[in-house]
Amino acid sequence: MKVSDLLQARRKDWTELETLCIQFESRATACREPERLTRFASLYRSLCADLALAEAYQLPPEVTRYLHRLVGRAHNQLYRSQEFTISTWARTLLFDVPQQLFHDGYLRLAFCIFWGAFFLSAVLATSQPGYPEAVLGAEQMQQMEEMYERPLGELDPEARGLMLGFYVYNNAGIGLRCFAFGLVFGIGGVLVTFYNSVSLGAVFGYMSTLKQWDNFAEFVTAHAPFELTAIVLSAAAGMRMGFALINTGGLRRIDSLQRAAVQATPIACVGVILFVLAAMIEAYVSPAPVSYGYKAGVAVLSAGLLMFYFVGLGMPREAAR
Amino acid sequence: MGGMAHGNHQLDTSIEIVTPENVSFRYHVAGPFRRLPAFLIDLALQAVLLMIAAMGVQFMSVAFGLSGFFLGMGGFLIFWFVLSWFYGGLFETYWNGQTPGKRLMRIRVIGTDGQPINGLQAVLRNLLRAIDCQPMYMFSLNRQLIMAGFLYQFGLFSTLMNNRFQRLGDLAAGTMVIVEERQWFQGIIQIDEPDVIRLVQQIPPSFQASPSLARALAAYVQRRLAFPAMRRIEVARHLAEPLARRFGLPEGINPDHLLCAAYQRAFITDTPGDVVEPVSPFAKTASLAIDAASAGRMPVEVGESPFAALPTSEGSRP
Repeated sequence: MKVSDLLQARRKDWTELETLCIQFESRATACREPERLTRFASLYRSLCADLALAEAYQLPPEVTRYLHRLVGRAHNQLYRSQEFTISTWARTLLFDVPQQLFHDGYLRLAFCIFWGAFFLSAVLATSQPGYPEAVLGAEQMQQMEEMYERPLGELDPEARGLMLGFYVYNNAGIGLRCFAFGLVFGIGGVLVTFYNSVSLGAVFGYMSTLKQWDNFAEFVTAHAPFELTAIVLSAAAGMRMGFALINTGGLRRIDSLQRAAVQATPIACVGVILFVLAAMIEAYVSPAPVSYGYKAGVAVLSAGLLMFYFVGLGMPREAAR
Repeated sequence: MGGMAHGNHQLDTSIEIVTPENVSFRYHVAGPFRRLPAFLIDLALQAVLLMIAAMGVQFMSVAFGLSGFFLGMGGFLIFWFVLSWFYGGLFETYWNGQTPGKRLMRIRVIGTDGQPINGLQAVLRNLLRAIDCQPMYMFSLNRQLIMAGFLYQFGLFSTLMNNRFQRLGDLAAGTMVIVEERQWFQGIIQIDEPDVIRLVQQIPPSFQASPSLARALAAYVQRRLAFPAMRRIEVARHLAEPLARRFGLPEGINPDHLLCAAYQRAFITDTPGDVVEPVSPFAKTASLAIDAASAGRMPVEVGESPFAALPTSEGSRP
């Protein structure tokens, strides 16, 4: 039996597998039919055997290449991407992430950088007359002044939907960018965090010297816990990746990065969730014409939830390990 | 699992993967010139989706006035956020490593170990696009609208620095983009030139090509039509002369034809009982070749062929 006979004999199976591949690729439901699936698996195994013996059969290179491609195609249909399951993500976000954050040095670092620079910048903004203008620029300062000129109740309540969208788009975008920039050896994350906290601190410091402070403080109280925690979390997640390139713990740099990135992504996702929660509060609670006590209550409640998340869920559980 | 071709072993863009079935096969990794069109297609699709969403906002503002506009615009911004950060991640999770652009360009994201990617890897590699697309430059068309352009230098540089064309997001997520080429089956090449057919009968049927010789013959026959006749002779001579001596053929045979005849002898059936009715597009030429081969029949020792004891693989039994 020579090669041409062999090809003649095997070709039927190969073509059948090819047809099944096309069906699986185009229709997701096709791969749930049991008969097709078993037929596919057995055809794939025999194709693998053919490829493994291709050398021994002395198949022409063109045929071998065809087999390689067909195996690759079938392999990708047989071994499919794992989709999100709610239970695994819930477990990751509610169990693994807080446990990990409890010991997370990068979270502490991000926290110190953020709040250190924030307070320093705020103090400078109140004490040094030229400082706010140097950091924020005259245009933004004027904008801030105008924005908080009027009492909050006068804001158009219909615009809240728009503001929700804007806060999600803008703030969560900043958080994710902060996460991504962390990859640059950690320095990117440090710089972005530093920049964010300095400008935020300058805004706070500057506003505290003006008569608009009351409106401003009333506005920011309710959503501050979620939003500021979210930005620190995003920065910490980014730094975890960036510093993994430097402190490899004995692994190759690339392996160290991959390990850190797998740990950091759920943290960044928690950051996004917090940003979305903050945006909802910022759009619907913060500008609402209700008493300050109500808004402060929201702030206390959200801070309590965060405490529960970080400490309550994060407390090391020996039994679970 | 996951035997990879490392660094200096790799001559081209192919990557070797060992499957759980314990067979290794090769992929070609996709380079920037295949990924860029896929990216542009995805970008265009995102733009179209955004435009449709913008029309929805317009519809809402017409239907419900200012409050409709505010609500629609809020939804539009959230949609924009999800689209710009999670478009790739969601598609690659639910479409098994492909986005619409990647599907059109026939490329797919898989793990560097050849395994499919999971949702986390898909989301991660797309979030890190924010760093791959740097540096960014800002430009303003009319001093009002500031637009950002991305040069993708980080990602491009990264793909050039490793042998799997991985951008930074791929490196962090442990993924690579591979070409999933469809290829139609090409069987044995049939040669129906009368000179070759005549020559086949002068080669002993017991001729067994060694693996390297078989490879050389197949590679030659596949490419020979790309060369002019003189050049073919020039190329074929180096192999044809020793072969002619081995077969005891007289001098002066066209080396090109001799290699083709040896190819026919090595690859194509020569036992008349085995002949299956050919169904290939080469049907006509194939039957020609078989007829010619069986015309001057000589006894063949089939038992010596390595193909005689061919294991029947399980797939052939339904």
